[in-house]
Amino acid sequence: MSVNPFDPKTVLLAKHAQHVVLIHFPIALFIMGVMFDFFAQFTKRRGLADAAYYNLLVAAISTAPVVATGILAWQFALEGQRVKGILLQHMALAGISTVVIWAVWWIHFRGRRGELSLPAFRIPLELFGVLVIALTGHLGGFLSGVNAPG
Amino acid sequence: MFAGRGVRVFGLAAALVMLPAAGGAARMVESAAPAVPAPQAAPAAAAAEVKIDNFSFSPATLTVAPGTTVTWTNRDDIPHTVVNTDDPRAFKSKVLDTDEKFSYTFTKAGTFAYFCSVHPKMTGTVVVTAGGK
Repeated sequence: MSVNPFDPKTVLLAKHAQHVVLIHFPIALFIMGVMFDFFAQFTKRRGLADAAYYNLLVAAISTAPVVATGILAWQFALEGQRVKGILLQHMALAGISTVVIWAVWWIHFRGRRGELSLPAFRIPLELFGVLVIALTGHLGGFLSGVNAPG
Repeated sequence: MFAGRGVRVFGLAAALVMLPAAGGAARMVESAAPAVPAPQAAPAAAAAEVKIDNFSFSPATLTVAPGTTVTWTNRDDIPHTVVNTDDPRAFKSKVLDTDEKFSYTFTKAGTFAYFCSVHPKMTGTVVVTAGGK
């Protein structure tokens, strides 16, 4: 079986390729956002806080196509497989990850509008988000075969 | 009178002597008749199994005789498929959940490569030869 990676049909119509590609955007953006926020917290530098906010904003926005393509991957690649086992865990953690990403962005959004000062609990919440995202990606790697042995 | 009696006695003796022979002849006729084939059990269809576990097909290469039905069983926690790489495809399973099976009977000789469409790195081959087993 040979696949042409530059064939538009192969790229666009591959059953779950889009989800596997797009998922890296919120993962990377959220982790970078958390890092910028962490350093902004201790250095008190406004530029780092801005970088954190915009990373978290784009991370939150990018969850929309990721969730959509994830559902498509479930329906097409896995043919709507019964939600159980690793698939269930992946979906549940993906849902929690999405909520945490949006919640963290919302906290920063309100902080920037001056509605409230950034609460201290956001740091453990952000670290919790990183952990859940890592677990979600780990399980997703098994579903897609990236984590397959060999 | 004695002559007639003698004839009857001889006839009776001859009949007694001939009776077993007649029976034998009858048996010979029976044995000479075309044999009716005794009902026999149909030869059991050949079958072979491939286990899907830990992201691999085991055995990866299976050699069978034509007419063999191969059954794939997914023992993994992950959904898998069994898809022939030929064009047109000889066989293609649905997505197999844990412990689900897929069977295909190979009627023609040849080499049939297949893979899991969800995890394309998973590949296997069924070789169908007349002397296969």
